[in-house]
Amino acid sequence: MSEKKCSCENCCFANNKREYQIPVEGKESTLADLPVGTKATIVKIMPKARGSKKLADVGIVPGSELLIEAHAPFGGLIRVKVMETSMALHKDEAANIVMMPECE
Amino acid sequence: MKTSYRVVLAGNPNCGKTTIFNALTGARQHVGNYPGVTVESKSGNFVLNGINIELIDLPGVYSLSSSSPEEEVVFDELTKPGIDLIINVVDSTIPQRSLYLTTQLAELHIPMLLAFNMADDAEKKGLKYDFQKLEKYFGSPIVQTIGSKASGVQNLLKRLAKTLNELEDHGVPMLTYGADIDDAIQAVSEKIDALNLEFCKYIPSRFYAIKLLEHDSSAMRIEALKPVQEEVEVQIKHLLDKHAIKAETFMADCRYAMLAGACRNSISKTGEKRREISDKIDLIMTNKFLGFPLFLLIMYVTFWFTFTCADPLMGYIETFFDWLGEAIKNGWSADKLPYLRSLITDGIIKGVGGVIVFLPNILFLFFVIAILEESGYMSRAAFIMDGVMRFFGLQGKSFVPLVLGFGCTVPAIMATRTIESQRDRTVTIMVLPLMSCGARLPIYALLIPAFFAQKYQAFAMWGIYVIGIVVALVAARIMKGTLFKGDGEVYLMELPPYRMPTFKSLMLHMWDRGKMYLQKAGTIILATSVILYICNTYPVKKSFSEDYAARIEACQADAKLSESERKKAVSELENKKNAEMKEYTVSGRVGKALEPVFRPIGFDWKVVTASISALAAKEIFVSQMGILHAEGEANQESATLREKLVKHYTPLQAFCFMLFSLLSIPCLATLVIIRKELNSWKMAFIEAGGLFLLAYISTFIVYQLGTFLKIGTKLLG
Repeated sequence: MSEKKCSCENCCFANNKREYQIPVEGKESTLADLPVGTKATIVKIMPKARGSKKLADVGIVPGSELLIEAHAPFGGLIRVKVMETSMALHKDEAANIVMMPECE
Repeated sequence: MKTSYRVVLAGNPNCGKTTIFNALTGARQHVGNYPGVTVESKSGNFVLNGINIELIDLPGVYSLSSSSPEEEVVFDELTKPGIDLIINVVDSTIPQRSLYLTTQLAELHIPMLLAFNMADDAEKKGLKYDFQKLEKYFGSPIVQTIGSKASGVQNLLKRLAKTLNELEDHGVPMLTYGADIDDAIQAVSEKIDALNLEFCKYIPSRFYAIKLLEHDSSAMRIEALKPVQEEVEVQIKHLLDKHAIKAETFMADCRYAMLAGACRNSISKTGEKRREISDKIDLIMTNKFLGFPLFLLIMYVTFWFTFTCADPLMGYIETFFDWLGEAIKNGWSADKLPYLRSLITDGIIKGVGGVIVFLPNILFLFFVIAILEESGYMSRAAFIMDGVMRFFGLQGKSFVPLVLGFGCTVPAIMATRTIESQRDRTVTIMVLPLMSCGARLPIYALLIPAFFAQKYQAFAMWGIYVIGIVVALVAARIMKGTLFKGDGEVYLMELPPYRMPTFKSLMLHMWDRGKMYLQKAGTIILATSVILYICNTYPVKKSFSEDYAARIEACQADAKLSESERKKAVSELENKKNAEMKEYTVSGRVGKALEPVFRPIGFDWKVVTASISALAAKEIFVSQMGILHAEGEANQESATLREKLVKHYTPLQAFCFMLFSLLSIPCLATLVIIRKELNSWKMAFIEAGGLFLLAYISTFIVYQLGTFLKIGTKLLG
C-alpha cells in the first residue's frame, strides 16, 4: 500500500461527492499492519491485549481515531496521533489493536 | 482564618506543570522522594497576600489509575487528608485529553482550580472556550495561564487568592456517566457509606465506588473496602451483560463520552492549521534515514560544547586556586604551625580546588541535557533509539537515564524509575555506571590534552564515551539473554510537541546540579582530601638511603658545574628524596603493596593509590595525582601537573588510566544508590565486583597488546 494521504474532508465527504465507504467485514487489520499516513478508527482491542487500561487512559479505546505518523528508524515502535497527542507504542501491543481504515 | 495552605499541582505529563511550579516558587524548592517508592517529590513555598502557601508538584499522570508508580503516588497523595486545593494544570491546546484527568480529580470533591495553560498556543490554534459553561461543568473556577511567560501566571495568583478566600463556598461538581453506570456507582457508594469509614469523611465514597468499579488496584488494595467487593462484582457483571465492555476500560469510555459532550458545548475551533510546526520538525528529526545521523550529531555537539566552551572558564578557576594557595603560603610563614599550613595549601586547596575546576564542565553538560529534555527532543531520541536499544536488550525509555548517566550516575539511576518493567530497569541500572559520568570527565580533561595532539582531543574524548556506550550495550545484551529473560511491560511514551525551553527552568536545572556538585566538593571531597593528605604525608621519613642534604650541598658547592647543570642535578636529587618520602607514607605503602597486581595494566603505585582514593569520588583521581606528583618547596618553578604526567607516563598508559576509570565503579555513592534502588546489597556488590573484573581484564588486554604492538609506548615529555 502506498503512503496515501487520507483525510476525510478530502475523500469521503468533501465536495459533496456523496461517495461513502461502507466498512466491509474482514477488511479490518491491526495497527501493526497499517502503513504510515493512514487514518483509522479502533474497532476493538483484543481481550488478550496487556495493559488495556493504560492504553484507555491515553485515549486508545474502541471508537478513537488514530493517525499513523511514523515508524521508528530501527523498527519496533509505531508513532500514532491519538486525541491530538503523539504516542509511541510497540508493535507487539499494536498487533492486538484491531483497526478499520477510514478510506481506501 | 487559616494562614497557611497546602496546594497541590496536578496534571498530565508535558502540560507545563513544572514550568508553572518554577514560576511560582522560583529557587525555593525542595526536591525529595516519596517514601517507599522511587518517584521524585517536589515542593516549594511562597507567600500570597500574607498567606503562606506550600505548593506540591505531583508527578505528571494521565489518569488516577495505578498503572505506574507515578499514578500510585498521585492516588495516595490526593487521598490523604490535609489538601486545601488542587490546581489542575490543563494543556488547553488539547482540552479533551487533558480534561480526562480532571474528570477524575473532580470526583475527589476537593476544591479545585483549573489552570488552562498554554493559552497563547491555544489561541493560535483557533480554540475558543466558553469558560462559564466549563466552570459550571466541573464546579471549579477556571483561569488562563501562560506558564512560559512571567506575566502568564499573574491571573493564576489573583484567582488563587480569591479561591482560597472562598474555600467554604466552593462548588461540588456533579458528573454523570449515563443512567446505568450512575446507578451502579450509587449502589456501591451506599454499601461503602454503610461501612462508616474514617477516610470517607474527606474523600467521598463515590470516588472509591468508581475506582472499585474500574478494578483499580490502588482501591482494591484498601483492606477496609474489601466487604463491598461482592457488590462491586455484581454491578460489574450487570454492566458487562448490558454493554459488553471490560470493567477495566468502561469507565474510560464513559469519561471520554462525557467529555466529548462537554467539549462540544463549550469549545469551538475556528480555522485549523493542517500540520503544526512541531510535526514539521519531526518529519526531519525522526525521519527514517536522517533521524539517526542527526541524533549522533546532536550528541557530538553536546560533548563538543561541554568540553570546548567550558575550557576558558576552567582556566580562570584554576588560576584562582593557584593564586589562593600561593597567597596563603606567602602570608603564613613556614615556621608557624607548618603542618596545618601544608594541610590547607597542599591538601585542601589542591584537592578541593582540583575538583571545583571542573564545575564549568558539569554546568555546561547539564545545561545541554536540560535543553534536550525540555525542548522535547529527549523523547524523540528514545523513539529513534528504541529499536537499537531493544536489540541490546534495553528499551527506548532506558535511553534517557543512560544519557543522564553522562552527567552523574546517581540521578541517572534514579531516573530509571520511569521504566515500568522491573527487568529492563535492573539491566539498565547494571550497565549505567559504564556511561561515562561527569566526575570522570576531569580525568579525561586532565589526560587528553596532555597526551593527544590538539586536533585529536575532541575525537579522543568522544571515543572514550563511545567505548563506554558500546561496552554497556554489549553487557546489557548478554545480561538480557542470560539472567533476565522474558517479556517486558506495555510500552507507551508520549512525544510532546517541541517547545522552547524557558531560560528560568534551564537555569534552575543547572543550578540544582551545580549545587549538588559543590556540596559534594564541600563535604565528601573536602573530607577525603584531608584524609588523603594525611595518608600521603605520614609517616614522615627521617632517615634516607642516601644523605641527600649532604649531596645537594656538595652539588651546590661544586664549582665545575655550570649554573643549569647544577640546578638540574639538585632538582634530580630533590625528586629522588621526595619519591622516597612518598613511598614511605601510608598511601605509598598501600600503593606499593598492590603495585604488582596493577603492573600488568600499566599502573605505577601512584596511579594505584589515586584509583583507590577515587572510590570516594572519581574526580579525586585528579587531585590525588596532583598531590602525589607535587614537588617540594625547593622547586618553585614547578611545572603544571600535565607536564609532569607527560614525563612519567606513556600515552598508552594514560589511555589505560582512562579506560580503567571508565569501566570501574564511579564511586561509593553509586554503590549505595544501586543497593537502594534494587533493594539488594548482593546486587550492589555483584555490580562492583563485576565492573572491577571488566575494567581490569579490558585494561590488561589493551596494555599488553599496545606494548606488544608498540603503540603509544614512547614518552612524550
